[in-house]
Amino acid sequence: MLAVVTVYPIVRVIALSLERRVPIFGIADFVGLANYAFLARDGAFWGAIRVTALFTVASVAAELVLGVAAAVALRAQRRGVAISLSLLLLPWCLPGVVTGRIFEWIYHPSAGLMNRLVAVVASAQPNWLGDPRLALPAVIAADVWRTTPFIALLVYARLVGVPAAVYEAAAVDGAGRGATFWRITLPLLRPVLLVALLFRTLDAVRAFDLMFILTGGGPAGVTETLTLYAYHSLFQTLQLGFGSASAVVVGALVVALAWGHLAATGERDAV
Amino acid sequence: MSSLLRVMTARRVWAVVVLAALAVAGCAERRADEVRLVFRHSRMPGERDPLPALLREFERRHPGIVVAHEPLPWTADVQHQFYVINLEGRSAGFDVLMLDVIWTAEFARAGWLLDVTDRWPAAERREHFPSMVEAATLGDRLWAVPWVMNVGLLYFRADLLGRQGFAPPTSYASLAEQAAAVMHAAGEPRLAGFLWQGKQYEGLVVNVLEAMWGEGTDLVGRDGRLLPEPARAAAALAHRRALLTHGISPPLVTAADEELTRREFGAGRGVFLRNWPYARALFEAGGSPVAGRVGVAALPGGGALGGAHLAIHAGTRHPEAAWALVRHLASPAAQRAIADAVGLHPTRPALVDDAALRAIFAGARPRPVTPWYQTLSATLQPELSAAILGLKPAGQALADAERRLAYFLRP
Repeated sequence: MLAVVTVYPIVRVIALSLERRVPIFGIADFVGLANYAFLARDGAFWGAIRVTALFTVASVAAELVLGVAAAVALRAQRRGVAISLSLLLLPWCLPGVVTGRIFEWIYHPSAGLMNRLVAVVASAQPNWLGDPRLALPAVIAADVWRTTPFIALLVYARLVGVPAAVYEAAAVDGAGRGATFWRITLPLLRPVLLVALLFRTLDAVRAFDLMFILTGGGPAGVTETLTLYAYHSLFQTLQLGFGSASAVVVGALVVALAWGHLAATGERDAV
Repeated sequence: MSSLLRVMTARRVWAVVVLAALAVAGCAERRADEVRLVFRHSRMPGERDPLPALLREFERRHPGIVVAHEPLPWTADVQHQFYVINLEGRSAGFDVLMLDVIWTAEFARAGWLLDVTDRWPAAERREHFPSMVEAATLGDRLWAVPWVMNVGLLYFRADLLGRQGFAPPTSYASLAEQAAAVMHAAGEPRLAGFLWQGKQYEGLVVNVLEAMWGEGTDLVGRDGRLLPEPARAAAALAHRRALLTHGISPPLVTAADEELTRREFGAGRGVFLRNWPYARALFEAGGSPVAGRVGVAALPGGGALGGAHLAIHAGTRHPEAAWALVRHLASPAAQRAIADAVGLHPTRPALVDDAALRAIFAGARPRPVTPWYQTLSATLQPELSAAILGLKPAGQALADAERRLAYFLRP
């Protein structure tokens, strides 16, 4: 069963990646590694790798920091925790398409919320999705808004499980707030943060929906991630062989990341 | 209690009997020789969808044919994907399809469309704007019938141009000069000179194509060669960049689609705008700040052709009935009804009442009519975007796109 649902598609996509195949025009020629050779030379492909790496590192880092901060604040809250939790989870519950549309309006150059706020302090009207320096940060911000609640929820669940006695003991020993956080809270959170890191990294490497809606990969391809690159090759240019080659590279990258992560954390956690 | 239950059970039995009888009657009513057609189309804009009435009329005139119509997904990219997946699967589930004019050559080459050359009398073809027929032609055969038409237009603020004594420009260079003069005279920092679509998507390719036509060159030459005059094509693209660096087009253009620029111009913040005909009614609507002050002219070099064709799926079991439906939907009366109800323009000059608009429509030019148009456009989009943002010189952007295309389109 497993062989049918996973091994067969993998073998098939690798076989396809060795062909020049445009199925709708009946083109199917074996070309060996030509597609991979073209990928290696293709500036747009290397651009997509760079964008994916930047997006992954920046969004995951920001989500971890903000998620932990939100969870700690929530734990300290005395009343209305249920309401805060519900509000916090709202962005995460929205479908990606809806989030994309919301941010499309937030970033609207003349009517958007961002530029109304900017107008209060400055006369400049940044073009969030049209300026090659701002477009990727703008997309990252949308992703952080959407996904921070996921981390916050995981971390909050762990914090709730920590007995109050641990913190009381720390207070008795004279630990201040900072010391408590760095010496007690963070080490306790380590396992859950590592899981969150793995999930979020793999998600971010496959990021697609927000840039698809907000920018279509533009301007000038500065928000084109690897999955968007594969999508453009597969569904817009209908180059099934070439698109498969790029999909194989994305797949290999995800597997390598997951493997590296497990290898790095598994050993130390076993101690 | 138990008697009540019994009554209910009895009622339920009766209900089943009645429903079954109705079902049998329904089946009996449906004749064995009845032809059922399925028509796939995108949703009509606005509230007054004219299609149901047109289809009922067709059924009245063709007893024995029933037409079901099913709307497509919303956006063009997803519609294209829907068609590719369903048509490649050979179990399309529809007989007649509406398709964007840029897909017709691709679908014809893929073998998905029925050749309509011999069914369609030459005299009737000549009723349509030639560009609509050209976009339906591949290899000297015809694959679709024009249904609704779109063309890129130059909107301008007649009041502002009039104050300077300007007539609508006939070249992009004079457009830029006029825009600069009007902006200078107005002294209003939020007034943009020329609004167009520069987001990385199909609309950018359309705008750059029009710029190339304005420069007297083309993306694909008559012989099918890509970029027959690279230097002139690069000059046209570089001019778009210059519009931004000289402040004639505002920075928002680099992420702008049709709606974004339509709203800016509609709010009174533009001298010139490139857009499709739909914007006209919105500018003249009650409460519009620019009502009565907007003029329309042909784009220098001609506007790009948009709109839709009707085609027949090659795998249909009822080609004759499908052809009758296509003729009915594309008839002058039907095109008139669609224009009246939702404002989509007819493809026949005789049905365009406004003489000025008719002349502009007659000058429409199709985007390159090639089965590879999607590949061409998708490959160009990021390169054109890089060029208008100044990340690459125009010539290099075009050369880079050409290099990628050489790999994708190699024989």
